Amino acid sequence: MSEFYLTIIHRPEMVPEYIQKDAEQGKKEDLTRSDVLQESLDIFRTQQQIAHENGLRTTIQMTYASLFNAEAVAIAKEHHERFGDEIGSTFLGIQCKEFREKFKSKELAIWLFSMDDKRKIVAEVFDKFRDVFGFYPTSTGSYYMDAELVNYIKEKYPMVRAAVATCWEEGPKAYWNANNSWYTLMDGGPWNPWIPSKRNIHCIASDQTDDIGIVAIPHLSRDLMAVFDGPGSYYGTHPQNILRGMVFEGQELPYFQNIVDQYRAMQKYNRGYAYNMMFVGPGWMSKGGRWEADYALLLKSYRDGMAYYSELKQQGKLQDLTMSEFADVYRANRPYTRPECTLWRDILYGSRRQMFWYADPWMRFCLDMNQGGAMVDLRPYAAKLVRPCGVGTKANQDASYPFLVQSLYRAGYFTHYAGEGAVKSCKIGHAGEQVDLCTCRTLASFSEDGDTRIITLDPVTIEFADFSVQVQSIFRLAEGTGEVEIIRRVFASSNPEADISIDEYITACYGTTEYPEDLTGVRLSLTGAGVSESIDYAYQCREAEIENMQSAEALIPQVDTRLSIRTEALAAGYFREGFSFSPMYTLGIKKIIKAEGELRTWLKVAKAS
Amino acid sequence: MAQGRKGKLNYRCPRCLMREIDMDMLYDRDRDEYYCLRCSFIGDEKEIQRLNAQFRDKYRDRMIRITDF
Repeated sequence: MSEFYLTIIHRPEMVPEYIQKDAEQGKKEDLTRSDVLQESLDIFRTQQQIAHENGLRTTIQMTYASLFNAEAVAIAKEHHERFGDEIGSTFLGIQCKEFREKFKSKELAIWLFSMDDKRKIVAEVFDKFRDVFGFYPTSTGSYYMDAELVNYIKEKYPMVRAAVATCWEEGPKAYWNANNSWYTLMDGGPWNPWIPSKRNIHCIASDQTDDIGIVAIPHLSRDLMAVFDGPGSYYGTHPQNILRGMVFEGQELPYFQNIVDQYRAMQKYNRGYAYNMMFVGPGWMSKGGRWEADYALLLKSYRDGMAYYSELKQQGKLQDLTMSEFADVYRANRPYTRPECTLWRDILYGSRRQMFWYADPWMRFCLDMNQGGAMVDLRPYAAKLVRPCGVGTKANQDASYPFLVQSLYRAGYFTHYAGEGAVKSCKIGHAGEQVDLCTCRTLASFSEDGDTRIITLDPVTIEFADFSVQVQSIFRLAEGTGEVEIIRRVFASSNPEADISIDEYITACYGTTEYPEDLTGVRLSLTGAGVSESIDYAYQCREAEIENMQSAEALIPQVDTRLSIRTEALAAGYFREGFSFSPMYTLGIKKIIKAEGELRTWLKVAKAS
Repeated sequence: MAQGRKGKLNYRCPRCLMREIDMDMLYDRDRDEYYCLRCSFIGDEKEIQRLNAQFRDKYRDRMIRITDF
């Protein structure tokens, strides 16, 4: 039996965000407009029918508004009986006349209410659900479910075991894409299901004591390359999102099947397991069309998507599970320390680019093979930051998990004229020349050695003025260590006498958006045999270097993180403070070799406090 | 000038789309022209479709079925 699992979710959203907006044009708001309610219910019915015609079961996530609609409730009960669909609950679609009267708020995002309101809304939604169905839901969700909210739900309703908890990399890019009016600022989570930490929903739980008690599911399965640099709502297992991104011609969008197949291929990196999630809200199948797509195309694309899943199921290549069923299956074979890995390849732009994504309880990171395996994203999960969001919190709308490196928000290799950008890479030097591996495009392959995952990059040739060498990068990820081992191997030198420097470095900062944060108070330090140096960051361009280093470290109290690099080789270590036009810090390890050799280093992120 | 309304399809501004901003346009019936509230784009349906086709060009694999992973 295939371990490619699919979860399909439908929700009867009585007042869909988009349809209501259209209906309002030229009219006053009316949450009880009967044509909107009827159309929404029709869409829900159509979605359910398409799934069932294709032999697929669904999870019906009842919105709060739909609990007051006898027809929606009757459909859910009937489909649970006839098809085995799960009836769950969602915090999307809370807005309706009853909610407005009870809570006096137009807020639509559960994670953005105050904690006090969250508690009241959870009680109202869950108790209403029980009144209607006679039981409490075992799955729930929203675009984002903060840890504080989920902890509360688990305390009061321990039967809940699955939740749609984030939307992958739906952060500043989604905000920008929506004309700065869509407040789903939630970058930094895993792209596939995970067991979250009690302290922060983005982080993967370390062990049972840290386990929040649910399996979290990301909202949709996203393109791990396109969404890193573009709007999430263009590229994923959501046919209408693909239409929004205009990744189609005429009536056809093969890209949908390409994404599904690439997710299926994740079995190669994750011990035979892979996952897909499809969750199209009714607003995306409006009879009036959605942006440039008319209803006929919206409908066809949904039918085609389901038909492909059905084809895979018939071939024994897919299992459709409801959310709670999936949570059980996932937990049954998921040690806490097991990482999620993916060597993603471009399926959109026609390049051969690959990106390797990795997430475990210590960190999430991304290596970009277009930049010689440079680390372009690094999130310190080990810090397990308690970072509540919503009204009355410091973060308020910004529910993202902070990065130390995000090369698109903070420049990476290429900067305009001055300064440095956030990236982890390596520079190879000789006689005054220096080449950054960021400029050496390559490809990678994935392998395993016991519990160590290995990314091996194809060698690249570096040409100096009077000779050339080849350099190969290898990343070794030993499960349960929280460290990344990086090997830079220099060989095939055309000059056996040449001195070659290997400079392994990380330039980092911290933040959740494109804009710089204050680095004052970050402590940079070096430790060697009997010697140490340290400074407190003050934008003064200071540098220090020691021979025979043991470790270089940045303590970033703002995100409670200790970032360190070390080596067992005889090498120099250095740190570099930035300045206001270049608000970064750099840690590095340098070694000189004669013609050929290697430098092996380890990178680690840990909780500082 | 006439009141801007929703057109027969809810076109986004193709120029804003190029920078990945989904910006709904309004339609001026008198001039048979769509216009953007943000970037000053104006154009008829044909012009929008021409620019949308240009937008799609960046997806070189958009019509290729990829099965080798």
